[in-house]
Amino acid sequence: MANPEQTRVPLTTEEEGLKDLNDDYTERYGFHDAENYLFKAPKGLTRELVEKISEFKNEPQWMREFRLKSLDHFLAREMPTWGSPLLAEVDFDNIHYFVRASERPERSWDDVPEDVKKTFDRLGIPEAERSFLAGVGAQYESEVVYHQVNKDLEDQGVIFLDMDSALRDHEDLVREYFATIIPANDNKLASLNSAVWSGGSFVYVPPGVQVEMPLQAYFRINTENMGQFERTIIIADEGSYVHYVEGCTAPTYSSDSLHSAVVELIAKPGARIRYTTVQNWSQNVFNLVTKRAVAEKDATVEWVDCNLGSKLTMKYPSVYLMGERAHGEILSIAFAGKGQHQDAGGKIVHVAPNTTSNIFAKSISKGGGRSSYRGLLEVANGARGSKSKVVCDALLLDDESRSDTYPTIRIGEDEVDVGHEATVSKVGDEQLFYLMSHGISEEEAGKLIVNGFIEPIVKELPMEYAVEMNRLIELQMEGSIG
Amino acid sequence: MTQAVVETQFLADRRAAAASALAALELPSFRGVDGWEFTPIQGLELDSFAPAPAGESAAGLLELDSANAIRPSSDDPGPGAAVVMGLAAAAECYPEVVEKHLGTVVKDAESPFVARNEALWSDGLLIYIPKGVEVGAPIIVNTVHEVAGSALHWRLLVVLEEGAKAEVWHQTLSADAEAEGLVNGVVELVVGAGAKLRFVDAQSLSESSWVFGSQRAVVERDASLDWITLGFGSANGKIFLETKLAGRGADARVTGAYATRGRQHLDYDTLQEHAAPDTTSDLAFRGIIGGRSQAVWRGMIQVDEGAQRTDAFQESRNLLIGRKAHADAIPGLEILANDVRCTHAAAVAQVDPEQLFYLRSHGLDEADANRLVVEGFLHALVERFEEGPVRDAVAAAIDARLQLSLA
Repeated sequence: MANPEQTRVPLTTEEEGLKDLNDDYTERYGFHDAENYLFKAPKGLTRELVEKISEFKNEPQWMREFRLKSLDHFLAREMPTWGSPLLAEVDFDNIHYFVRASERPERSWDDVPEDVKKTFDRLGIPEAERSFLAGVGAQYESEVVYHQVNKDLEDQGVIFLDMDSALRDHEDLVREYFATIIPANDNKLASLNSAVWSGGSFVYVPPGVQVEMPLQAYFRINTENMGQFERTIIIADEGSYVHYVEGCTAPTYSSDSLHSAVVELIAKPGARIRYTTVQNWSQNVFNLVTKRAVAEKDATVEWVDCNLGSKLTMKYPSVYLMGERAHGEILSIAFAGKGQHQDAGGKIVHVAPNTTSNIFAKSISKGGGRSSYRGLLEVANGARGSKSKVVCDALLLDDESRSDTYPTIRIGEDEVDVGHEATVSKVGDEQLFYLMSHGISEEEAGKLIVNGFIEPIVKELPMEYAVEMNRLIELQMEGSIG
Repeated sequence: MTQAVVETQFLADRRAAAASALAALELPSFRGVDGWEFTPIQGLELDSFAPAPAGESAAGLLELDSANAIRPSSDDPGPGAAVVMGLAAAAECYPEVVEKHLGTVVKDAESPFVARNEALWSDGLLIYIPKGVEVGAPIIVNTVHEVAGSALHWRLLVVLEEGAKAEVWHQTLSADAEAEGLVNGVVELVVGAGAKLRFVDAQSLSESSWVFGSQRAVVERDASLDWITLGFGSANGKIFLETKLAGRGADARVTGAYATRGRQHLDYDTLQEHAAPDTTSDLAFRGIIGGRSQAVWRGMIQVDEGAQRTDAFQESRNLLIGRKAHADAIPGLEILANDVRCTHAAAVAQVDPEQLFYLRSHGLDEADANRLVVEGFLHALVERFEEGPVRDAVAAAIDARLQLSLA
């Protein structure tokens, strides 16, 4: 429970408070620009299109072959049937797989095409960069349109590029790591990404370098029926540290878009990677993402994963603890409102001895929404002395919403200590009564309780994102109590 | 148990319907089928075991010292008494009970195991406690797999009418501790409004047997069920153990203890379905997994729409005592009402070195210290029962089994 004195006064006025989330989303993020693209592929996925993407990007032969092989995997695989009935609504034939908005990523904001710049100005991205972030990448449709990295970091050998540029400028490095954590045939959506990927970030941090300020990426879908398939790899070399933050929005259209990213993290011995997501896609985006990390000896990987938007999210960030004493951490918030299904969670696999992990998940369901925690905790034989704790809490705000918890625990080693706990409850009448007896309205009291519920995870976010997160939660909460 | 030679039309019709459905229910490939992912039954050939009737007796695991115990009898006990009668005979004497309830609690038409049981059962029993009757003595029933290499399809129907009270002890045993075979049971428990049932079920089959089970209870308004299941025997298989809180104020407590060794694979799939408001359930399962054995527990708390003020708890704890032992726990919550309190917990651990150290520092040798910790882990479940014959018998059965596990 948050202390009322410490909780921010909501920014919304009484009048704004009457709107529901979708109204506000449309105003803040739901605008879309006139389409003025260099290239926009027709709907549908063909071998020719995959070849064309590769040709456009002037890629090496191995990448072209990788794409075509991935396309075969995608076509051969059945659509998964688990997770959500909404999955059946994904129509692969009704999607634009590639849209090019700009010639190449710009390093000066002034050079970004005017309409795209306007979009990101409205979203406040360059402002964020100016204030404190170490580097910013902004992806519009299929490709990164703007990229900037702090000169100091560049001098220390930090690479922060969009993936297309990285493939061009650091081909050997990209080739060494590309698809080594998530193979092309990992699952149907990862195969799709492998075939048509475009954009995303490539980050390499040399041994010992501590990147103190977060690197930031912003993803934006503008076109109706767009598919965005960014590909991100982050390599933290021995003893280094990096924090990567991503945010995402899209306009509100009447028909659906697809976002299907592949993100691979490699934490070398003693390194630490933190990867933070604030996902606020509009409610016509299918968000089907594969994210996986390996942590080598003494390394730490942390996923901080907040899912508020999208129609359906299916995302289970994973950490494979491959080296002795590696540590994995997953902090997850999911908020499902009307018409939404957040199927989120995380996976930890202990492969090496004396590895440790934690998963903390908080989910909230409201207005008929459904939030599910789906997770895996596995300890392989030989991972002696491993310890893990998984705690999932869910809050149900009304009687039409739904909450599910599906954790799986597989233990093949006797020298372990693992525990899982989950609780589902409603906003307590006593809590509400207590706050209301202190002169707080029922609606405000409900917000305070929800804020207190997610506070342990929100406080892990960078300040700007914590502010945005709290604002989004408040919007989701408008009118939810009583 | 004695069976009538000629079955009633009702039973014969059910059998025939199931037999014809069976043709379309070839044992599916379970790989990738939800709920069966972790059950390695690909080596099973269901029809390689010819059906055979149950035997009469075998050494029991649960020793209940009760001279006045009620045992199956083909005699009609008359009005106001507990009926414990072979199902075929009961279908003639109590058609209104059998026809009303048989096959209404377990009715999974898709399951090849349930369909085989319907078509082929050779050992069936009705336990029927009429309205308001409180049975003081325990009802004791053994199901014995006697013919090696055969399939025993057995079923048990327990019906407690409104306000009735009874305690039923059931064991599944093998006549020969080495015998191979397949044992496939269906248990239906009907706990009427305000009734109280305690059902203690122990499975101690030969460690070369397949075991399958579909066991389900329906608990009506203000009724309560105390269900205890012990799993020690069998080589492989899967048991479904489901409770439906069907009426307002219904309550169920489900307690499971199991211990595996060698290459055993023991598999439980539990469901606590809250279908009415103001219902409570409390499930606790604990296992000791030794050798190269495996245990799977999959548990779901399901709260249906409108089942407000549900209070549900679920806990699974495994202690691994073999270097190659393996435990899977898949707890689940599916909640469609909001005024609820649902909690689950799952843990897998080793014998706590600190506890061992403490005991050894008080003069115990390592083997004894180890035994005490392992016994203590399962005995924590026994604490769920009040002092008395049930608690003593369950504790003794656990101890007897752990002697084998720790040997």
